[in-house]
Amino acid sequence: MKPNSLTHKRKYIGIERIQARWGIAFVIPAILFFSLFSFYPILNALYTSLFDKRVLSLLPPTFMGLGNYIYLFKSADFWNSVRATFVFTFGTFMPMVVVSLAFAVFLSLVKNKKVRGMFQIAYYTPAVISSVVAAAIWLLIFDPRGLGNQWVNFILNTPGVDNKWLADATMVQLSTMIVYFWKYIGYFIILFVTGLSTIPSSIYEAATIDGANPWQSFWRITMPLLKPTVVLVSIMAMLQCLKTFGTQYLFVQGGAPRAPINVITLNIYTTGIRNQRIGRASAMSIILFIIMLIFTWVQFRTSKSEEVEY
Amino acid sequence: MDELRTSRFSSRVPQVLKNIPWARVIIWTALIGMVVFTVMPLLFMLTASFMTSRQIVRMPFNWIPETFFVTNFLQALRGNDGSWIFTRNILNSLFVATTVAITTVLIASITGYGIAKFKFKGRNFVFMLIMATMMIPFEAIMIPLYMVTTSFKMQDSYMGLIVPFLVSAFGVFQMRQYLTTFPTEFLDASRVDGLGEFQIFWQIVFPNCAPVIATLGILSFRGQWDNLLWPLLVAQSEKMKTIPLYISKFAEEKLTDEGAMMAAALIASIPMFIMFGALSKYFIGGSAVYESRKG
Repeated sequence: MKPNSLTHKRKYIGIERIQARWGIAFVIPAILFFSLFSFYPILNALYTSLFDKRVLSLLPPTFMGLGNYIYLFKSADFWNSVRATFVFTFGTFMPMVVVSLAFAVFLSLVKNKKVRGMFQIAYYTPAVISSVVAAAIWLLIFDPRGLGNQWVNFILNTPGVDNKWLADATMVQLSTMIVYFWKYIGYFIILFVTGLSTIPSSIYEAATIDGANPWQSFWRITMPLLKPTVVLVSIMAMLQCLKTFGTQYLFVQGGAPRAPINVITLNIYTTGIRNQRIGRASAMSIILFIIMLIFTWVQFRTSKSEEVEY
Repeated sequence: MDELRTSRFSSRVPQVLKNIPWARVIIWTALIGMVVFTVMPLLFMLTASFMTSRQIVRMPFNWIPETFFVTNFLQALRGNDGSWIFTRNILNSLFVATTVAITTVLIASITGYGIAKFKFKGRNFVFMLIMATMMIPFEAIMIPLYMVTTSFKMQDSYMGLIVPFLVSAFGVFQMRQYLTTFPTEFLDASRVDGLGEFQIFWQIVFPNCAPVIATLGILSFRGQWDNLLWPLLVAQSEKMKTIPLYISKFAEEKLTDEGAMMAAALIASIPMFIMFGALSKYFIGGSAVYESRKG
């Protein structure tokens, strides 16, 4: 569509204008949608977080500046939520990234393509079911008389010990991590498998000719070249863990103690919907948003500087 | 493409096994151990759904149910209050997830097409703006979103469950990336043939996006099938609830029998298992992406 004679030029501009109008027409529905359901709500949350607003209150919301934020920063309950969220996030995403990377490498060593595919499907299946179903299954496994205790006691050879999966404050945190790890491990393994498949084999061949053993190949070739994927997947896993809700919600509903697993999202839900303190819940939402924004920013920074080309 | 990848790796395998003989044992143990870890709980769900609650918590656990206790499934469908609302709730989930999958694919593809193939002022700005919404976690905007929904009188309705998820920023991103490489000559040729712009999109562009449409559709469907937080806010009456809400309500009721719980969980997972069985390559191919706006 690049005319090189003058006679075509006028007509060309006309088409360009019409084209531009079509382009705008195609894009407008999405713009309206995102304005109404993404940008307006986040601005509204920012605004509401400055007010003492309750749902069923007859009093008009009163402006309190940063009052909600100050309240939260002084509130032990909120700090507990921050702690719960970060414990869950780091306790889940770090093992998840390390283990899924290891398994992606293991899978890449499986010769038979069909067998490898079957492994991938087996690992991925838990990611297919919904998180409430996952939590429901594990609630039964973590029953004092359930499979969880039976397995652990079998492996550690400690018959009759109750590990208090759902009752003990530390164990219940570990339990939520196990559920999440179980559900998403396959998903992350496949992310790494995809990342590994972009590394050209010629590099490995060259290294082998130069006398590198597989261990050296892994640390000197795979790891450096996979670093962008590792960074990306880590941040993604981290962002997902920060947003966790379903597992904790169902565990609390199922009778587990709330405080150890009262993550920020659960706290927002309780404060805003159950206790109807919208202003305070909005302030919490904004803090969560800022935390995630920082992580996303880190992601963009690192992934930009780490881009590799073969 | 896949063939290439396979040969790439298989060429390395003999070296590894020659140099470290025990590597094979360790790797296979680990690989199979992980299968046990991921599959066991699912098998547990399957087998426990046919057991009485006494059999489920028995020590040691017997993996093969002695009797096929089908009452569990009846109990799961009937509910503790005998309202049979399960059927309605699972149909709600199917309807909401299917609708969201369709609208996401349609709107995302037309938007992605507009951004990828038309030059207009502010095109990059529009793209950046849509990408920026991916950074907004759903959890941070759910309360204002709920108020928007209420002001449109859409709470406790299908509209309320569907409208906030009509399209996703990630969908737009994926379609745009895919369509950027779409040959412009096709479009120009169609224009010369006298097709309207909308016809070109619908007859030329859309049918050529099948793989990315499948991936995006599955992703959107699964996102809604798994969505707990938003229906928790919006669906107040029993008949508007979706399946995750039913499961969580069923789990908290004291009366609930463990076997019936697993039966409900199993029935609730069947649609996803069928989809995964039939379309696993799109699931696994499509997982290499960031899921935004997941509840």
